[in-house]
Amino acid sequence: MPESIPAPLIIDTLKDTFREARAALGAEGVRPRHDHLGWILSVPDTHQKTVLAALDKERALRVLTCSTEDEANAIAAGLWMGGEPFALMIQHAGLYASVNTLRGVAMDGRVPIFYMIGLLQRERDKEPRESRHSMVRYCEPLLDLFGVPHARLEGPDDVRFIPEYYRLAQKRRGPTAVLVGLETA
Amino acid sequence: MAMKPEEALRAIAAARGDAVCVPTMTTAPAWRTIAPDDLSVGCVGFMGGASSLGLGLALACPDRRVLVFDGDGSLLMQLGSLATIAGAAPRNLVHIVFKNGVYHTSGAQEIPGGGGVDFVQMAKGAGYRAAHVIDDVGELKRRLPSLLRDEGPILVELHTGLADKTPMTDRGGVPFPDQVDRLRGRLIAS
Repeated sequence: MPESIPAPLIIDTLKDTFREARAALGAEGVRPRHDHLGWILSVPDTHQKTVLAALDKERALRVLTCSTEDEANAIAAGLWMGGEPFALMIQHAGLYASVNTLRGVAMDGRVPIFYMIGLLQRERDKEPRESRHSMVRYCEPLLDLFGVPHARLEGPDDVRFIPEYYRLAQKRRGPTAVLVGLETA
Repeated sequence: MAMKPEEALRAIAAARGDAVCVPTMTTAPAWRTIAPDDLSVGCVGFMGGASSLGLGLALACPDRRVLVFDGDGSLLMQLGSLATIAGAAPRNLVHIVFKNGVYHTSGAQEIPGGGGVDFVQMAKGAGYRAAHVIDDVGELKRRLPSLLRDEGPILVELHTGLADKTPMTDRGGVPFPDQVDRLRGRLIAS
């Protein structure tokens, strides 16, 4: 059975992931222009609301709330060109709303965008592909259609996928995603 | 007679210094001729994304000016970016909206609201630090030094006629991923 993941665990994992990214940039001779570790580009997601609430008190990560997921993708491209680490926190409906930008920026533009996507209304006892809610059911097939590698966070042990898929995005120069299976705690 | 967008772009190119520029749609073909350097990245194909692309660059590189050459139709596709930019408050972002009242690239269909849409009021309402109308290239030249120096975010509604070329009549240029690579290389090395 899937379990909820505590917000502090996700935030600590993101901080470690961004520290590693900054260290890699430093090894390339990139000088940091900011004191914080990285950026969270968010279009608020009910499923990850405890993480977003905890991020309000977090100084090491800078949160930028965007009006749309399209904006978040384009902002991410600008941050990447400037050598800044980032992650996008959105929900599945936002993914559907922004597929053209996913295509144009992350895929065609070869920008390594790492997404954390909340599966709002996902039933605890069902595989997402078998959900009675279309917005849950179509998320993984859509990512497959676009060739976006993805993994599901089904409990605290799965936070290891955050750095793994962040690194994969950099390596493949394109989008990757982790799907947040249950509402964060 | 309406200002030619090419005249405006030439004036900007002469004054910009090392500012990063983000042209979109009908400013893109002219800009790559006027300023064929590697401190620009075009936004074509992701529907109004120029302002957000510019915001990301401005946040990543606070020590460098970023100039967005938006279109009126393009901005309407991502109008919420005005609030996002105002909320992020990048001091180094100048958002120039080339206002011609039509979707020139797709055949010059009138934009919603036509020429009556007031982007200056919208930007001020969203929380931009300043917003101005400029409808004459002489005035643009006079104001460019302050636009390149004053604290942003600043929006300029630039009243223009139609460009000579569009991305449909003048295809080509450096592919988007190569522009991205080129600009990233320049920015992270600086």
